[in-house]
Amino acid sequence: MTDILIILAIGLPWLGALAVWLVGNKRPEQQHLLAVIFAVAAGLAALLLIPSYSDAAELKIEVGSVFGDFTFVPDGLGVFLAAVATVVGSLAVIFSVDYMHGDAELGRYYALVLLFIGSMVGLVLTGSMLLLFIFWEMTALCSYALISFYNDDPKAVEGGIKALVITSLGGVGMMIGALIIYAYVGSYEISDFLADPEALPSGVLGVVAFGFLAAAAAKSAQVPFHTWLPGAMEAPSPISALIHAATMVNAGVYLLVRFYPAFEDVEGWTTAVILVGLLSGLLSALMALVAQDLKRALAYSTVSQLGYMVYAVGTGAIFASQFHLLSHAVFKALLFLSAGAVIHSVGTRDMRQMGGLGKQMPFMRNVFIVGALALAGLPILNGFWSKELVLEGGLEEGPVWAYAGMLIGAGITALYSFRMVWLVFFGEPRGTTHAHDAGQYMKLATGILAVGTFTTWLLAGVFGELLEDSLPYHHLEVETGTKIIEDVITAPATLVALGVVALGLLGWWFRKPLSGIAEALSPVGDAAANDFGFEAVNRQIVHWTKEAATALRATQTGYLNWNVVGIIGGLIAVLVILVLGA
Amino acid sequence: MDDMTAFTWMIVLPLLASPAIYLLGRLFKEDGARIARWAAVAALLITWVPFAVAASDLNEHGIQTYQHGSIMLRLDDLSLLLAALVLGLGTLVTVYSGPYMAAESDQEKYFALLVAMIGVMIGLGCAGDLFNLWVWFEGMAIASFFLVAFYREQAASLEAGIKYMVQSAVGSALVLMGIALVLAQTGTLDLVEIRNAARDSDMLLAAGALFTIGFGVKVAMVPMHTWLPDAHSQAPSGISAMLSGVVIEAGLVALLRSLGALTGVSDSWGTLLMIFGAFNMLLGNLMALRQTQVKRLLAYSSLSHMGYMLLGLGIALYAKETAGAQGSLFHMLNHGMMKGLAFLAAGGLLYTLHVSLGDHSPLTVSDLDGAAQKYPITALGLSLAVLGLGGLPPLAGFMSKWQIFVAGFETKETLIELLVLFAALNSVLSLAYYAPLVNALYRRKPSKAVQKGQPMPVLMTVPMVILSVAIVAVGVWPNLLDWLSGPAGDALLATFGF
Repeated sequence: MTDILIILAIGLPWLGALAVWLVGNKRPEQQHLLAVIFAVAAGLAALLLIPSYSDAAELKIEVGSVFGDFTFVPDGLGVFLAAVATVVGSLAVIFSVDYMHGDAELGRYYALVLLFIGSMVGLVLTGSMLLLFIFWEMTALCSYALISFYNDDPKAVEGGIKALVITSLGGVGMMIGALIIYAYVGSYEISDFLADPEALPSGVLGVVAFGFLAAAAAKSAQVPFHTWLPGAMEAPSPISALIHAATMVNAGVYLLVRFYPAFEDVEGWTTAVILVGLLSGLLSALMALVAQDLKRALAYSTVSQLGYMVYAVGTGAIFASQFHLLSHAVFKALLFLSAGAVIHSVGTRDMRQMGGLGKQMPFMRNVFIVGALALAGLPILNGFWSKELVLEGGLEEGPVWAYAGMLIGAGITALYSFRMVWLVFFGEPRGTTHAHDAGQYMKLATGILAVGTFTTWLLAGVFGELLEDSLPYHHLEVETGTKIIEDVITAPATLVALGVVALGLLGWWFRKPLSGIAEALSPVGDAAANDFGFEAVNRQIVHWTKEAATALRATQTGYLNWNVVGIIGGLIAVLVILVLGA
Repeated sequence: MDDMTAFTWMIVLPLLASPAIYLLGRLFKEDGARIARWAAVAALLITWVPFAVAASDLNEHGIQTYQHGSIMLRLDDLSLLLAALVLGLGTLVTVYSGPYMAAESDQEKYFALLVAMIGVMIGLGCAGDLFNLWVWFEGMAIASFFLVAFYREQAASLEAGIKYMVQSAVGSALVLMGIALVLAQTGTLDLVEIRNAARDSDMLLAAGALFTIGFGVKVAMVPMHTWLPDAHSQAPSGISAMLSGVVIEAGLVALLRSLGALTGVSDSWGTLLMIFGAFNMLLGNLMALRQTQVKRLLAYSSLSHMGYMLLGLGIALYAKETAGAQGSLFHMLNHGMMKGLAFLAAGGLLYTLHVSLGDHSPLTVSDLDGAAQKYPITALGLSLAVLGLGGLPPLAGFMSKWQIFVAGFETKETLIELLVLFAALNSVLSLAYYAPLVNALYRRKPSKAVQKGQPMPVLMTVPMVILSVAIVAVGVWPNLLDWLSGPAGDALLATFGF
């Protein structure tokens, strides 16, 4: 039964992709309907999978040769993330019924979305490193194709290719790691490796650990690989919500968590993980603070929140990181979708052109505020509980400097959250465009997510139990749900964090009297607006590569004489090599 | 003289059919072109019968041999793999070429040469002695010269043909010198006997270098590659697919056969192939990066893919690593399908957008804009092909690259591992020129060329669909071709005596 559910959770979206494509773009109504049916069905299959979680391979397809077995292990981590992927996926598809209404080429759109959902489920459920890498790249492929869905827009094309190249570049780290593990362990099974990481000499294990970290950082848009995520905002908003907030970008964190038991003793690895999380959390919070584009602000915020998860992994707070992942997936999907509804309505992403939209779009205002408060970390929303857990874990196990940094980050998070809400929904209208209210499907999807933002923290106990039971190598000791809640409420760290959040709120409230401070800090703001120079480094690398390619064209002379010289030169070179080598 | 068996018929049938196709085309004044075309398709379809029998003979009774005077033919699993690739892509290209060449004059020559080239390449894979190998190799070159320069009214096409012929001839001359050296030293031309007789000697080392460079011209190893971008882009698109998908690979098989005979002469053959592999990958990718002509871009991409094959083979020879040979040969099959599809699809667009309107200007990347609206299957095929070439799963190219990379890491040698890392980074780099093609195809606003484009003929679409399905199928189920590439890899190492 479990194996059938796994096949359904992965296969139904893929089947749906085929079906939507075959129906053809001449029948958009049927395409919408089919996409919703298949996405929701996959969601149900994934939810049914949760009770039958286990730590063994429930589905195994023997391939042989150097490809090993294709196995699927529905452990606690996997089934939970599969549920997130398919449920948020279904909601994004439902939202799309309104959002993409009247758009051309729905077949391509839905086929890619559904292909993505299935791949994401496969990514979190597979027990084979080769398959993990395959799904990893498949999600990157879907992400690329959907970012540049509007191919006529050069920015969309650039954003898509940039995302593809940077995540693939990081992916090389994981590929090398997987190949090394296979060479030493003789199997792609993750559990075989976790059972005995000592099979690798320590130096080699270090290469694997840092290779995986690079892959995770690229996928989860962490510093210094984060530059692709803002560019990815050219995608239709449901895609940003699904792929670039709730699911694919989490894959990096998932990877770190999955392999944590093997790498935790590698020298310098946990510190590096903490550092990556800290830099991402802090720097991109600053970037979110100065961003003028609503979706870019949310994108930087995603980088920052992923930084919190990465930081948590570094401090060993595995449960906290995954719990924050769950909360973030829900509230950030909510934020992106409601932002999408606003953008769809006013036709711009520039917050300077918005303002005062709350009266025209009261529903979206309300749900966006719910999401923003969760992001800021206000009780009793889900973001509050998980962020407190992350910070608490960091204070107990991690270095103090990192904790202090993350705490400051929490304050900035509150500040930019309120800024977004204010700039979009309150104050005087600055744009001339008239906003129409969101469609029914948009309200349905965001409404469900808003309810989730209020409630998913209640799952903490169940989630912890699942992880504890089915991750034998992680040695997790997770407390019961009520104990977790009690802990968070009574911990002094919570008060400190809440104080910082309140500071952030006050900072926004008294922004006029505090403008002197803002002015003094303006060089920081300018640096943040320029992406702290990371973007410039990117551009320089692309420039050099292009220059090298251009320069090399001189070698294709088009003169036959030179061509024959090449042959003779080759002969001489080979002779020299052979004589020296032989 | 031995009796003819299935595998000899597999070689002889296309060779006998070739003049018959030409004569049929000439004799029937009215329908000559059509008859020649269908005769070619029929001849190739019939050739599949002895192929199947030969495959089962090989499977049951081991290596098949045929002796006729001093001519020695030997069918092993490597020969079978090449035959499958040649015949498979050859059949599809012949079907495709029907409508593509329909408006050209002298079609009977085109189809006769194409079928002859297919037969010769199957023969090349079965050559059992050095001189025979060279004769098949030359036969392949001769057939392909005329096909490359088939548009004899086009200056660019003629130029490409001449450059190809001269460089190829230089290579052939070097090979011939190498053969002379081998014969002088060992007194035999039989590949197996040379291997047994060959001892460490400077003369044989020089012969190995001559083979590497001489065959290397046809393999398009850097720096002997300069003929390839012109020839592959100027040839009729079906021929581009053949050149890129099988001709350079047949050259590689010839190179491997000759080096296999000299295995005892040097330990450096593997290293040598790895070095060439690295140069091919880097140069091919960087040159493709700035290309605006689609077929030229694909031609440079062939350089880099030859690099992957050389890398895997180098690893296999250097470390006696079977997975490297199997992976490389698997990649040879996959590359044949992917690059074949890429050239057929790009050629399809070239045909509908330019050639069918009597325009021989090249297909540029900007011509592709919005082509998916009008040619959805072709656009999807080209997208699958280039993304597969870029190594994205779940497409065939990923799986064979992975197998090569596994072999590299199995050696546990840092330098080779770094080389694999370099190869992987090259794959990422290649996405930077493959992806924009896909983006262009799926624009909404069609280019001027697409707006006045003609409909895509069905017979050109069918081969594209078959190849597209194959690429996805192999990507999802990598062992689908293991029955060919697995034993072929073993057979290759066996020819080196490992």
